[in-house]
Amino acid sequence: MSELIKVTINEQDFEVEKGARLIDVCREKGFNIPSFCYYSDLALQASCRMCLVRIEKMPKLQTSCTITCTDGMIVTTQSEEIEKAQRAMSEFLLANHPLDCPVCDRGGECELQEMIFDWGDVEERFTEKKNVEPEKFLSPIVANDPQRCIVCKRCTRVCDEWMGEDAIEAGNRGVNTVIGTYGGWLNCSQCGNCIEVCPTGTLLDGVYRHETRPWELDQTITTDVYGSDGMQLSIGSRGGLVHRIVARDRYVNGLNGEFLDVKARFAHEFVNHPDRIKTPLIRYKKGGKLIPATWDEAIHFVGQKLTESGKNVGVVASPRLTNEAIFTLKRFAKEVVGTDNYAVSDRYDLSVFFDNLSAPLATHKEIRKAKTLVLIGGEPEEEQTFTAKQMRQAVRNDGAKLIIVNHTPIRLSAQASQFIHINPNSYDAFVLALTDSANDDANAKKLGIETKDLADFRQTLSETEGDTVVMFGGDLSPQAQSVLANSADAFDGTNAKVLFHPLPLYNNSVGANDLMEGKKSLSEVLKNSKALLIGGSLQEADTNLLANKDFIVVQELFETETTKYADVVLPAASFAEVDGTFTNNTGFVQRVRQAIEPVNQSKADWMITTLIAREMGADFGYNFSATMVFKAIADSVSAYEGLRYPALKDESKPVQVKHAISAKKDLSKEFDVLKSNVEKLSDEANKLTATPRVGHKLHRLTTLTSKTAQFHLLAHGNPKPENLLVSPLVQFNLDGTPRTETADAAAVGVTDRINLKVEY
Amino acid sequence: MASALATDFTNKIVYTDEVAEFSPEVVEEMKSHLVKYPPERKRSALIPLLFVVQRERGWIDNAGVNFLAKFLELEVTDVWETATFYSMFNLRKIGRHHIQICKTLSCKIMGEPEITEHICNKLNIHPGETTADGKFTVTLVECLGSCGTAPMMQIGFDYHEDLTTEKVDQILDSLK
Ligand code: SF4
Ligand code: SF4
Ligand code: FES
Ligand code: FES
Repeated sequence: MSELIKVTINEQDFEVEKGARLIDVCREKGFNIPSFCYYSDLALQASCRMCLVRIEKMPKLQTSCTITCTDGMIVTTQSEEIEKAQRAMSEFLLANHPLDCPVCDRGGECELQEMIFDWGDVEERFTEKKNVEPEKFLSPIVANDPQRCIVCKRCTRVCDEWMGEDAIEAGNRGVNTVIGTYGGWLNCSQCGNCIEVCPTGTLLDGVYRHETRPWELDQTITTDVYGSDGMQLSIGSRGGLVHRIVARDRYVNGLNGEFLDVKARFAHEFVNHPDRIKTPLIRYKKGGKLIPATWDEAIHFVGQKLTESGKNVGVVASPRLTNEAIFTLKRFAKEVVGTDNYAVSDRYDLSVFFDNLSAPLATHKEIRKAKTLVLIGGEPEEEQTFTAKQMRQAVRNDGAKLIIVNHTPIRLSAQASQFIHINPNSYDAFVLALTDSANDDANAKKLGIETKDLADFRQTLSETEGDTVVMFGGDLSPQAQSVLANSADAFDGTNAKVLFHPLPLYNNSVGANDLMEGKKSLSEVLKNSKALLIGGSLQEADTNLLANKDFIVVQELFETETTKYADVVLPAASFAEVDGTFTNNTGFVQRVRQAIEPVNQSKADWMITTLIAREMGADFGYNFSATMVFKAIADSVSAYEGLRYPALKDESKPVQVKHAISAKKDLSKEFDVLKSNVEKLSDEANKLTATPRVGHKLHRLTTLTSKTAQFHLLAHGNPKPENLLVSPLVQFNLDGTPRTETADAAAVGVTDRINLKVEY
Repeated sequence: MASALATDFTNKIVYTDEVAEFSPEVVEEMKSHLVKYPPERKRSALIPLLFVVQRERGWIDNAGVNFLAKFLELEVTDVWETATFYSMFNLRKIGRHHIQICKTLSCKIMGEPEITEHICNKLNIHPGETTADGKFTVTLVECLGSCGTAPMMQIGFDYHEDLTTEKVDQILDSLK
């Protein structure tokens, strides 16, 4: 490791790593240093002047956030002089600040408030008139109270450095500085990270604002239910209602620190949505209506019908469900029905990746520290947001090389050291080119690139000194994925470790793949079964295969395309209402914790399946406890061996399941397919040149268990404020009336809206 | 009060996608600024280009901002951030003649308050405002570096020095 040097802090000697930042060192050693603008891993600002320390041989007090430790440094962090300076600084910070914490929405969890209580003066000497600016909305979900700003510029830095959006900036100058945007509206992906990092009540969650006070909320740490990054977050709930979601904690030590994306942070309205299915529903006659029933009735009916179908029952699990639910569904298929007809309704099949995996999975930390990142296909900024943030920071802050191979200039390509812009549908050709340097000319032609691009690509890889992380997703053909996953050697650098990072779409895609060992393809299962038990709706495109079945049971939160075919619908609980685990795209098994009681009469998915099994005479031995389900997983799935809930307790030290690394395989069959695919490609292709706007893609409203795309957010191509959707679930006009459907919205069938009045 | 122009930041600005158009000569001029900076640091040319836009369009308007954002591959908010920082960029439409009265020490001592009052009364506006006919805008600015001839003001690009109320009358009357 790196060299150690000696520093003396408050008369105690410490050995620290060379190049460490003084403020970090002091804090690590237990000396409290107040700060506002310092935010680890963001560009330095040094504007708040709260972090002052005295360093011997230096004139004046120094800002510890900008000082790198040097050998023999003698530091004092507390003295009368320092305290006086800090009090003076805090007085300046408050010079323009309204002193009305009781009406401020940040009150109770405000860093400024805390700091002033700790370091401030009791008296205010400024008698001048304060700058007053009206409160306003920067976007439907970002409320702004400009006068509370202390211009620490954390918000502008995260917007730029984490998101690459540059949507929020500081305008004007001096005491007139305001944080804002041109035109007054945030034209961005609405991730809300600026709200999260703001130490004061300047930027606020416009949806949650004034609903309740933070200390009245129960905070439950759990895992994101949208993305496959498994971001840790905290659900704030009260009286059975989910009020808000914030990042895991306010200090950077969880998996994702304070980073969340728009879905994770704002798209929780579905939990308490009035359209949730309230009771079990039975369709007694085909073509008839779904009629409310009691749980006893419904379970009895389901048991009877599934028993009648004997071995013709197929089981489908959604990759949105918890490991517990998926595992129980598999046990149902294996032990109760006695069939191999079970499948996962994921859009990408991850088994090709994991069956051929020739190097370990990268963790997000390793992505951040990697020296070379290779991204083939995919759009992590839309689908694996935290991965995208780590990539951007690896490049921006640590000078990692990013090579992007894509058919369209995704936004991240602005960060890339090499962007290989290939023809649409030519990923197979790229994979071939990677493993076969003899035919570069021909391959480059198919890809629509220069031969030199491939040579440069190889050169960067071979010169890498450090880790190389290779990422690709299910938009590549299965054969291409197999070959890539098996070719870690193709990415070797001088002394590099090669790591892989899959890009699955759902929160538990990886878990579903791990637990549904021996699964069949979805269409196979749907075709081969006469009756079906479906945990979580299918993609809309797959639902036509559900017609003409004898009997279909669906565990769901909402009525969806899939439930239209159902004979029985059983109300399932959302992620906020259950205990369980998700496995993320780095193989971390992380806890999902119950924040509120199940809404209406819903039950956890695994519990529903267990009830049906019991009705059919099988006892899984769960005793209605999620702990026991997880123990059963640990006992029977080798990668999860020995895991228990207590081992997963500390979400800042996540546990990684070990996926088997396979040896080099003979993939000649796959190569043959790739070759024939590539032959079919024409040399003349039109490249796509439009950069897709991230977060602006219109998603359909779905829920935890309705497994269609994600959820709709901002109208695609409608970046203008008056056309913004007002919340992740609602679309509004500027005058507050609900918007009629745009062509875009109609195309994907946005139907659900909540009335939510927003003032402008 | 020059900052009164710069603080014009409210939700009221109507955001459009309109992009300003400039004559080929002006675009050439803009390009000549670009070559002074490394290609990956294009944004460094923002300030000189803002001046060009202001000269051509009178102020930094929406279409001009959109143009610069496209031209320099920036976000509009980046342009806004820079433009609002400097008080010499007009973020509001100004009159045909922009009267900038120096309000800093030397001029103040030598009679700036009287001059300002006179001008404002004559034009019937407050500093920072534009006359109804769109002819004059009056702003108060910091030292213009002509302290030896205080009090002074700048109209357009011209300095008018050693001002008296009579001289101001003459100057204003001579302006179309
Ligand atoms: S921002 Fe913080 S210190 Fe300021 S009023 Fe709100 S709670 Fe109080
Ligand atoms: S809005 Fe918040 S985060 Fe941004 S500069 Fe102001 S206080 Fe800091
Ligand atoms: S934390 Fe060091 S100056 Fe703000
Ligand atoms: S003080 Fe007016 S020009 Fe210097």
